Amino acid sequence: MLNRQEPIDFRERIRIVVVFVLAAITILMVRLAYLQIVRGDDFKKKSENNSVRFRQVKPLRGLIMDRNGFVLVDNKPSFDVIYIPNRNKANELSVERLKQLYENRALAFPYDQALLKNARPYLPVKLDKNVTMEKIALVETNALNLPGIYIDVSPIRLYLDGEILAPVIGYTGEVSRKEIEQSAGKYGYGDVSGKHGLERFFDAFIRGQRGAELVEVNAYGKEIKNMGRIDPVAGYNMVLTIDADLQKAAWNAVQGKAGSVVVMDPRNGAVLAMVSSPSFDPNLFYEGISGEQWSQLQNNPFAPLSNKAIAGQYPPGSTYKLIVAAAALEEGIITPDTRVFCNGAFTLGNRTYRCWRKGGHGSVNLHQAMVGSCDVYFYTIGKMLGVDKIAEYARRFGLGEVAQIDLPNEKKGLVPTKEWKLKRKREAWQMGETISISIGQGYNLVTTMQLANAFGAFANGGTLWRPYLVRQIQTTDGKIYKEFLPTKKGDLKLSARTIEILNDALKGVVNDPGGTGANAKLSGVEVCGKTGTSQVLGLPENEKARRRKILGAFQKDHALFASYAPSKNPEIVVAVILENAGGGGAVAAPVARKILSAYFEGKKKNKNKGSAKIAHNN
Amino acid sequence: MIFLKFDRRIFSHFDWVLLVFVLAVCAMGILNIYSTGFSAAGGQTSFYLKQLQWVVLGFILMMAVFFLDYHVIVQYAYAIYGFILMLLVLVLVIGSSSHGAQRWLGAGAFAVQPSEFMKAVIIITLARYFDNHKSNESYSLKELLVPFMMVMTPFLLILKQPDLGTALMLIVIFVSIIAFMGVNRKSLIFVVVSGLILAPGGWFLLKDYQRERLITFLNPERDPLGSGYHIIQSKIAIGSGEIFGKGFLSGSQTQLKFLPEQQTDFVFSVFAEEWGFIGSMFLIAVFMVIILWGLKIALQAKDSLGTIIAFGVTAFISWEVFINIGMVLGILPVVGIPLPFFSYGGSAMLTLMAAVGLLMNVSARRFILQK
Repeated sequence: MLNRQEPIDFRERIRIVVVFVLAAITILMVRLAYLQIVRGDDFKKKSENNSVRFRQVKPLRGLIMDRNGFVLVDNKPSFDVIYIPNRNKANELSVERLKQLYENRALAFPYDQALLKNARPYLPVKLDKNVTMEKIALVETNALNLPGIYIDVSPIRLYLDGEILAPVIGYTGEVSRKEIEQSAGKYGYGDVSGKHGLERFFDAFIRGQRGAELVEVNAYGKEIKNMGRIDPVAGYNMVLTIDADLQKAAWNAVQGKAGSVVVMDPRNGAVLAMVSSPSFDPNLFYEGISGEQWSQLQNNPFAPLSNKAIAGQYPPGSTYKLIVAAAALEEGIITPDTRVFCNGAFTLGNRTYRCWRKGGHGSVNLHQAMVGSCDVYFYTIGKMLGVDKIAEYARRFGLGEVAQIDLPNEKKGLVPTKEWKLKRKREAWQMGETISISIGQGYNLVTTMQLANAFGAFANGGTLWRPYLVRQIQTTDGKIYKEFLPTKKGDLKLSARTIEILNDALKGVVNDPGGTGANAKLSGVEVCGKTGTSQVLGLPENEKARRRKILGAFQKDHALFASYAPSKNPEIVVAVILENAGGGGAVAAPVARKILSAYFEGKKKNKNKGSAKIAHNN
Repeated sequence: MIFLKFDRRIFSHFDWVLLVFVLAVCAMGILNIYSTGFSAAGGQTSFYLKQLQWVVLGFILMMAVFFLDYHVIVQYAYAIYGFILMLLVLVLVIGSSSHGAQRWLGAGAFAVQPSEFMKAVIIITLARYFDNHKSNESYSLKELLVPFMMVMTPFLLILKQPDLGTALMLIVIFVSIIAFMGVNRKSLIFVVVSGLILAPGGWFLLKDYQRERLITFLNPERDPLGSGYHIIQSKIAIGSGEIFGKGFLSGSQTQLKFLPEQQTDFVFSVFAEEWGFIGSMFLIAVFMVIILWGLKIALQAKDSLGTIIAFGVTAFISWEVFINIGMVLGILPVVGIPLPFFSYGGSAMLTLMAAVGLLMNVSARRFILQK
């Protein structure tokens, strides 16, 4: 520390500061007196009839495009009738008058006037949305009698593909009060946010930024002067991995059935198509859906609002045999030549487990057991593996955990273990349950997404990818803002030999004579696949009863088919799960076939187009 | 260790006047926030309760700061400064990484603002520096370089957040303190000029949208709604209060909810509308007493360290009062600076209460001679 010196004389300096302070305070007081006393009257009038109005300008939400830049979701203008209450009670009559005008022309007035009690001064109330020209004219020509009522234009979503992609893309809606409170200022009153699917998951990117306008209005509420404007900023565009043509083909293939399809590229995890059927038309939400329509959508037993590809969980049935077989080979429990004699039943203690084929398959080796989907073969090796070993392999295939696709509300399915049962059911594991697990029945649950991803990982030689739906986020002028690259999620850790043996078996399922997946056979391309038929017995009693009541025939099994093609260097995976549709080979395999066929047809077409272009260039 | 021995005289010289006036502003603030929340779309919001919690917490902090001899506090000034600086860096790091991560939806508001804390910490940091480097002469450039860097580092960090209002407060406090300590003309010119040069330097650190915000801030014409609209509404609110005001919970402008910063930067407009010229004059008068009282403490402090601290704190409070009220009255540009003790905000309240703790600290120890 330096030596203490004579203290500085602060007295003089503080005196100067005091003068400054008093001067500043005097300025504030004079200004205050000017505003409140000199001009108080003036301002009071202005506040009573506040003529300056702040108006939000909604941003355009980002476009959503398929992998080839084909627009799937666009925006269109919506004309809404809004009412801005002020402190003047007389304005409330406007709403009543408008109702009269509507009724004079036999138009239904959709707004419930009882709600006006909750209206807050100067916060706009939407009386009618997306109105026709007739209604616009009605409001405009009667504007003088309708103070406080305006026509407001704002962009709304236009889903060009309608129901084809609706469960994946989702829809938007006005933000709720809760969302505003939890958003730390990101959302404001009247903003739009994604409510489901991609619209919700990527909301932050595609939302854009609201703008605002400051307008002066006259006593009738007519704008007389625009005092300034902040332009809204459009949201970023989104390019999906979805192929619109393939999506359409997949959608057409499942028409009339309930269930879901996931089509992926096994080389990187990109989702090429994702269908959930039945679906809904998201455009309805903007045209004003009636309460009845809404409750129909909500109570439909086929759950059209949910994306069954990621939220529907089903026993995997015989598609699970791929995993059990891989586990048995890797653990050295069997060789490809190990034979089991199937007489149509398997006995454990005093219980008998049946093979789906009544007479049995006779003596079968692994290849034959896969091709004919012999249950007894898998009961035998499943018993030797034990439930926990099977679970270990199932987890490597990505089952029992979310695939981490970029969508909200993904379900994780279930891979049962001894520990799980003890914890959840407080009961010890029964050997008989292992027998059921070996053929994918019992507690096992998978989503279509998981099934596709598991078969994709097998197809590409063992890499489990994180499936993804969005390839790029682009700025409005088409520059790449963010690119999503394939992400490795896990490894099957299977030997090349195991993969070769089972790849051959899956090829046999579709191509060998008597194969259960023969319905998926294509000419020119070798398709590999596995059928599955899962029993609905797992459904809780009340759910079964409910469905039975609604649909009569509801005891039918779920039909599954998981496939990939070509057998060498596969480039497409298709997983299909159809609810209560019957046998996998009979019902699901033909659906997969249509999709695979569309894919290879499309590829051929593109190739021709491409070579024609090259020829032309030359 | 002398600081652990409480001299009973710090109680007999306890500054009741300062405490009463500060708590009076806090109380009026809570009532006022209650009024803004009262008319928020349906029901009462809990802002006023939260503010009450912050006042209580702030009071505890104030007492803690009061009991430790300010000579001891100042010994730790650099450590505290370093700690807050670290937090400021952390804010930037966490802020940026939350964008790149997969779970971008989970990003929330940062609960405390280290930038607010820096306003009080910079005062004790500068106080320590100037107390160590006393001079009867005006300070020269060389001597000012270190304190200049002490201010510029957090300034740039806060600017990058970006929070221009808070960043500028640091500069204003710095300039007030060096002007008070005495600075020769050459140094003063240097500080001003380098400030002008460094400002564009910081420009390159910013992202496009941040620049956009800054341009808008510096040139309100570009943002006719932001400042223009707020000022129009604020003036209407204040003016329409007239002499006696519209009464508690009856401000019609307040119910507009068009002023987005009603609980924070524009609280004074709400108060002026409901309590009129008389209420507003009363509030300004209370602030005036606090400010003049602070200067009195600076004058009566027993050593120059006490004077610098008391002056710094008073300058901090006065500038915020002048800038905030000047802004809502439409005579200063719109800057994000809250009204002390009155605006809603936890970090600001804690900082101000700690700063008042320093003032009371200096005040109570004015008769105690250091051994």
